[in-house]
Parts: sequence; C-alpha cells; structure tokens
Amino acid sequence: MLRLYSTIQKEILILLRDRGGLIIMFIMPMAMITLMALIQDAPFRDYQEMRIPLLLVNNDNGNLGSTIDLGLNESKIFEITKLHLDQDIVKQKMKSGDYDIAIIIPEGASKMLNSKVSNFVTKKLNEAGFSDTSSITKTDLTQELNLEILFSPETKKSFKASILSTLKQATSKIETQTLLELFNKELKQEDKSGKRKSEPMKDFVNFQEINTVETPAEALKLNSVQHNVPAWTIFGMFFIVISMSGSIIKERDDGSYTRILTMPGLYITVLAGKIAAYLLICLIQCVLMLMVGIYILPQFGLPQLVIGNSIPAISIVAITAGLAATGYGVFVGSIFKTHQQASTFGAISVVILAALGGIWVPVFVMPESLKIAVEFSPLYWGLSAFHKLFLNEGTVQSILPYAFKLLLFFIFTLSFAFLYTKNNRS
Amino acid sequence: MNATAAIEVKNLLKTYKGSAIPAVNSISFTVEKGSIFGLLGPNGAGKTTTISILCGLSKASTGDVTLMGLSLKKQLNEIKQLIGVVPQEIALYPTLTAFENLRYIGNMYGLKGDNLRKKIKENLELVGLSEFAEKQIITFSGGMKRRINLVAGILHEPKILFLDEPTVGVDVQSRNLITEHLHLLNNAGCTIIYTSHLMEEAENLCTSIAIIDHGKIIATGEPKKLIQEHSKSTLEQLFLKLTGKKLRD
Repeated sequence: MLRLYSTIQKEILILLRDRGGLIIMFIMPMAMITLMALIQDAPFRDYQEMRIPLLLVNNDNGNLGSTIDLGLNESKIFEITKLHLDQDIVKQKMKSGDYDIAIIIPEGASKMLNSKVSNFVTKKLNEAGFSDTSSITKTDLTQELNLEILFSPETKKSFKASILSTLKQATSKIETQTLLELFNKELKQEDKSGKRKSEPMKDFVNFQEINTVETPAEALKLNSVQHNVPAWTIFGMFFIVISMSGSIIKERDDGSYTRILTMPGLYITVLAGKIAAYLLICLIQCVLMLMVGIYILPQFGLPQLVIGNSIPAISIVAITAGLAATGYGVFVGSIFKTHQQASTFGAISVVILAALGGIWVPVFVMPESLKIAVEFSPLYWGLSAFHKLFLNEGTVQSILPYAFKLLLFFIFTLSFAFLYTKNNRS
Repeated sequence: MNATAAIEVKNLLKTYKGSAIPAVNSISFTVEKGSIFGLLGPNGAGKTTTISILCGLSKASTGDVTLMGLSLKKQLNEIKQLIGVVPQEIALYPTLTAFENLRYIGNMYGLKGDNLRKKIKENLELVGLSEFAEKQIITFSGGMKRRINLVAGILHEPKILFLDEPTVGVDVQSRNLITEHLHLLNNAGCTIIYTSHLMEEAENLCTSIAIIDHGKIIATGEPKKLIQEHSKSTLEQLFLKLTGKKLRD
C-alpha cells in the first residue's frame, strides 16, 4: 500500500507542477466544450427546433391566401414575415440575404382558383347529363394561376420540400372545398331557409403524434449542450493519453523505470499508482466539465445541461471511461519509443476515435457505412452511456453494457502493453 | 557455495532475440563481500547486459547467479531488497525536490516516517546537499544531480551497490566527493560493483576487476597484480593491450 500511495502522491505532484499539462488537461477541454456548444448551437437548433425564415407576400384577399397563411403558421416550421411588396423588391431582399425563401400569392388568386374549379365542375356535370348548370359562373380560363416561390441557392432541399408540401396541402384543401360546394349547389341541397349548408371540410384521417418517451427528462431534446458537454468530456478524458504516455516514456528514457524495476515489489503496483493518479485527474476533469454545462454555458444563452438523477450511474461511466483512457495511455506509452511519436499518435488516434464515436457530429447524421465502425470506438461507448443517462433518465442497469465494454478496453490495452513490454525487456 | 562471496556467477550466457551471437558468453566470476569490483570493457563488450542480469532487469539464457547466497532465479524479490542501483542516467524526477525524490524512493523500499526523514537528512549532509533538500532537481548542476543520484541508490543501505558510470560528466570536486563516499560505504561493509570507462578512477577505486570483451572475461584479479603480470604501468595500458585500439561503437 505504501508503494501505491507513494506513487499516487509522486504522480500528482509531478502533474501539479506541469503547468502546460494542466492547461491541456483542464483549461483546453473546458474551453473546447464552451466553444463547441456555442458553435453547434445553431446547427442543432436548425436540425431540431429552429424555424425557417420566410417572406409571405399575400396580395390575395380571398380564402386561398388566408389558407396558405394559416397552413404555414400551423406547420410551426416557418418564421413568417408578412409584407406587401413587388416581386422585384422581394428578389432584391433575397439577394441581399434578408430572406432565403419567399412566397408571392398574386392578387385575385382565390377568385381565379374558384373559377377554374367551377369550370371543371360544369364540364364534368355536363358530361354526366346535368344540363342546367346556369347557376355556375363561367369565366375566362386562359389566364394561368401561378404562386411564385422564390428560393435562395443555399436553401436546403428539405426546406423546399416542406414549403411545397404546405402549399400543395393548402391549395388542394381549397380546391376540394370549392368542388364540394359547387356540387352541393348544383344538386340543390339547400336547407329550407334557402341558405346553403356550408359544412367545413373535415379530415377523415387524423395524425396523432405520440412521443416514445414519457417522463419530462426523457422528452428532453438532444441540443448542443446535451451533445457537446458529454461528448467533449469523454474527449478530454481520453486526451490524457498524451500526458500519460509522455510520463511513461520519460521514465523509461531517464532511467527511473530501470530504477523502479530494481526495487522490491511488483511493477504493476507502481503502474496501478500511476493509473490511479491519472484516473483521479480524469474524474476531476469530468466533474469540472459537467459543471461547465450546468453553470457556465447558460451564461452564454445556451440551455442548461440536464444530467438525469442517477449519480451512481454517472460515477460508473466516469470511472470506466477514465480507466479506458488511462489504459490507452499506458498502451501508447508502452509501444512507442519517443514522446514525439506517442503524442502524435495519441492525439491523432483520439481525434479519429472521437470522430467515429460521434463526438464531432452525432452518430445519427453519419453515413450508414460509418455507423458500423462507430461501435468500435470507446469514446462512443462513453458518450452513449452519458446520453442514456442525460437524455433517457437511464439507470445503473441501462449503462452497464457500455461500462463493461469500457472496462474490457482497459483490460485489453493494459494487457497488451504489459505483454509488449515484457517481450521487449527479455 | 562460497560464504565469502557477495556475488557468484557461473556459466552466465545471454543471447538476445534475433541475435546469433551471445551478448554474454558463458562467463563466470566471483565478487567477494566487502570488495569494490570493477567490471570494465569497451562499448558493446557485455558489461551492461551482465549488470542488467545481476540486478534482475534481464533474464539470463542459461547459467546460475547467486547474490549474498540467494538464487537470482528463485529469490529475486529478496535480492532486490539487498541491492542498490545507481544508473548512468539521472533517474530522478526533475520537477520534484531532492527530498520528494528521496522520500518516494525510500517509500518504494518500505522506509517511512522519521526513520526515512533521518536517512534522507544524513545522506544529503554526506553529499553536501542539505540546503538543497527543498529545491527541484531541475535547478541542480550536473555534479549535484550525480550526487543526489548516488544517494537515491544507497538510501536503503544496500548490501550490494551497482554503479554504472557514476562520475561521468561531473566536475573534479563532485567526482572526488562521490569516490570518497563510495569508500565510506565500502568501509561500512557494502560490496560495490562498478563500471566505468575512466581507467584511472577504476585503478584507484577497485579492489578487484574483470575485463570483459566480446561477451567473455579476458582478465580478472586485483588491478595492480594484473598490471604487473602484463608488464604495463597503468590500467589503461593494460586495457588497451587486452581489448585493442580498434574503435568500438
């Protein structure tokens, strides 16, 4: 125990006196979390909750204009600005970047649509043998009814599809309503008071939105903070590989490792002391970074991090992720001969594992081919466990598979490093 | 078993993986208790391999080694408690103070508390570093680092001390202090195994030597006797006669 305690004490003293290392281990990940959460806030909201700015120029005074307006509003995906402008001015405003999407409903659009539908109904009734269609107004149909939709080149396909869908829905509703009214009128289905029944169109099929999660925490959306804080926490913990591998290589280079090997007791005790010291650093990192999400990020106008309510489960994830990171540090420190090699490989490999693990961008936006590789990243296991806890109110039981994988990774890297070193020493 | 022997080496052979030529080729020698034994040889002769095996850092391919009557193969952990090693490198943590370094090393040997503090204080006084106990090693001169490196190897009062070029690259005063300290340790009963390229220092310090080349011991005995036997006036001349003047890299 004295050897273990003494090694932990020695490692902590060395780490505390390494200002550069402290910056890499604490300040940089905290700055990274803040920066990435701020940068990715817009794309996340864009993806999930941000509304699309849209200019609506409604020159129509009839039901078509108002139905389109209502449909766009009800879709809740547009932030609508209503103005009465000429097409040229609208184009100018779009060119200057004021709007990405504009819809121009021409004057008399409703009247024109009604006339076109009337003409269609008259034609069909005549074909069916209803000769007396005098009550239906006949109009000139040579004029085209065009709703103008202006898109900037940057407009996403999904936005275009949303707008076209909303417009088609609004116009077909008007068309159907008008058709029914005209058929009613022609079939003389009027009430005794002489007033035509104007029954509004009903939807025959209702679309019911059901949330697959039930509790308030589970309903929490994956926003920039909920993604970035756990993601960069895991990344920061794994970045310890640079300091740790550097420490192992330095001990080997300056003869300390040789001296330790000539001392009584097993080297594994000394290694355990080193792992314990770096694990402690990982845990402090984790706590600090979660605190950034809870207390600092809201100061920048970002949502507060919600960490669920299972502290034991969070502790298990933090400890197993920390062990996986330190195991990887021992592995890198053992197989590389120079600090430069180890730090370069360590940093790049962690970045690659982070990219695969959904740290940079969430896994659900990755191409299908990459989603298979994701399963092999320890950073993904750590992040998934945190997501389980922070987004789905996970319990200890729910994160155990991830914790088990992280622990296996620790055992594997440590065993490999041990065997590699033993083989090279003999 | 020789009761007066601190170290007995019999037919020690070591061949590294991938190498056809043994680094150490069936050598045998005895180091008497209380002696200062110089293991001398040119670069690549097999000195470091021999010392590594004796310290338990590397395993011999074949052969038997006993230290203070204990088998290296079977009682390595007990042997480690009896030996001290002063590597050629300054094997200390530069950002820790002299005291913190020595406390860590002492703890590794099971020393603690007042006993450890007393030993650290005494040893720092002996090498003239008492006032630098709380200074970081990184601030020390080359000579000071060598002296503290020596203290780190003897803090637990080993029965056998291995020294690999302990005075390389240090000023004359520090070298003098280190050799004086080695004599003191030896007088107190510590057997010293010493390797160096400094023949004059070895001649003055060692009570017996072995000259090793190409993995074989080519001469062994008291330095003065060996010099006389080969009709040379210094150990350096003898060394060059036995190992040749061809450069070794």
